[in-house]
Amino acid sequence: MAHRRKSIEIQRVAAYATIAVALVVTLFPVYWIAANSFKYDIDIFSIPPQWIPANPTLKHYRAAFIERPFLIYALNSLIIAVSTTLVSVVFGSLAGYALARFQYPGRWRYQISFWILSTRMMPPIVTIIPLYIAFNHLGMLNTKPAVIIAYTAFNLPFATWMMKSYFQDLPVELEEAAMVDGDTRLGAFLHVALPLARPGLAATAIFCLIISWNEFLLALILTLTERSQTLPIGIAGRVTQYNTYWGEISAAGFTACIPIVIFAFVVQKHLVRGISFGAVKG
Amino acid sequence: MTVSAGAKFGNSFERWLELHLRVLMLAPAMLVLLTLTIFPSIYMIVAAVTRISPNPDLPWQFAGADNFLRLLTDEQFHVGLWNTLLFTVFAVSTEFLLGLGLALLLDRYIRRLNFLKTVLMLPMMLPPVAVAITWKLIYEPQFGVLNEIMFRLGLPLQAWAGDVRLAMFSVIVADVWQWTPFMFLLMLAGLASLPDEPYEAAAIDGASAWRQFWDLTLPFLKPIIAIALLLRIMDALRLFDLVFILTGGGPADRTKTLSLYIYQVAYRFADPSYAAAISLFVLFMTVAFSTWFIKRMRLAD
Repeated sequence: MAHRRKSIEIQRVAAYATIAVALVVTLFPVYWIAANSFKYDIDIFSIPPQWIPANPTLKHYRAAFIERPFLIYALNSLIIAVSTTLVSVVFGSLAGYALARFQYPGRWRYQISFWILSTRMMPPIVTIIPLYIAFNHLGMLNTKPAVIIAYTAFNLPFATWMMKSYFQDLPVELEEAAMVDGDTRLGAFLHVALPLARPGLAATAIFCLIISWNEFLLALILTLTERSQTLPIGIAGRVTQYNTYWGEISAAGFTACIPIVIFAFVVQKHLVRGISFGAVKG
Repeated sequence: MTVSAGAKFGNSFERWLELHLRVLMLAPAMLVLLTLTIFPSIYMIVAAVTRISPNPDLPWQFAGADNFLRLLTDEQFHVGLWNTLLFTVFAVSTEFLLGLGLALLLDRYIRRLNFLKTVLMLPMMLPPVAVAITWKLIYEPQFGVLNEIMFRLGLPLQAWAGDVRLAMFSVIVADVWQWTPFMFLLMLAGLASLPDEPYEAAAIDGASAWRQFWDLTLPFLKPIIAIALLLRIMDALRLFDLVFILTGGGPADRTKTLSLYIYQVAYRFADPSYAAAISLFVLFMTVAFSTWFIKRMRLAD
């Protein structure tokens, strides 16, 4: 018995050790980019590496956000991410509700749902070339609306499916009761279903925000001017053929992470439920 | 009750709205998706069977299957395809095994400290560009942290992402770092929804932890494992950001993925027709795989 207890103890210690290693491996890269963003160039390149910045400086933040237009990039990212999220969540809940609740002739409901999901199977690089040509013709290259439209197309399938699974999970009786009480179908959706699906709305919004804040390829191709570019493009732009501006890149990269990290902790509950929920229901 | 309903339906606009609601609610999303997928699809197909002249004033010429035949002999394309498959197989399977293992550990041993789970999920939420930059910094041969660790351990220093033999490995490690959390999260969610009864019965029968995992946990998790794998495979097949920044496809094309190659063909070699042909191949490959996988795993039921 004592022997058995001992082996359980060993298992427990091994488990905690493994989890601790996972935490260190997960956090170290983030710490490293933060640490480097506060170092002078000479300290970034020091051998052996400086684990903790010895002479912390805000030099690179000044360089990126005051001397270079990273403030504009960040603002562009914010406007684009928020607009995309708004449009995707509104259109996505409308379509999600329709697919969850209404009858369509034949197998249309299934086919429309599958078609909506299948638009996500297209690698972005496939759709982006024609979109580039179309936006070029419309004179919309280097504008925020072009990026927002493209992002919406990439977020909508996901938003629709997530909202569909949330609505399907709501008991249909509540809406029926509201309609018996004289509410219209639209009223039942707006006054009953939508408020009840608030956690789903939050989770969907979080997703769209993160995806559009982080997106790279589409923005890379649709925007070429400083005034229209987003944070990820700005960061990648500091890796040039001749030089890599490590300090500025670290400062901008770390800044791009901060909102997401704060956000992740604030919305912890919704996030976990949201991702797993949407995915389990697929 | 009937009065208020009557008043509402008295308004003819509202009645019209109510009658067509199932179409109207679907319309905005459908219109956006139709415009943004139908037009590109048609363009792609047309472009793939024509020869587009770099001079915009010249008309497009019909090229038949020429662009597709090029796929058979284009070595760069074969390299890209091989790299993409190599990356997908190794990255996704590693992510899956690590994610499942971590989820089992945390599910069993960490009951209270829930914020730890959020910490472990952080990498997947960070901008891939920032992730790629961070790993570039870590892999840097001269002043990078990884070589410092190698040095301390008395191991030979490496060029990592710049080394022909290690470049793909380095890309996979960075991807595993960012996306294991995704697998971890889905597995954790799956574990949280397991029923208790079968485990209690198994414990009474004296089944070992290993048997319980194999006979109960794994079958229960199967649907979520299938979805997690499908989503990750679809993403891995179109890997772009990470290689674009970390290696640029090099050295010696060892990390050039199909997405990167399409980008180069379209924008550097200015050959949209051939880019369209490769894109259609990638699209066909992804859809064929997904459809097969969904059928095989019976995900549609």
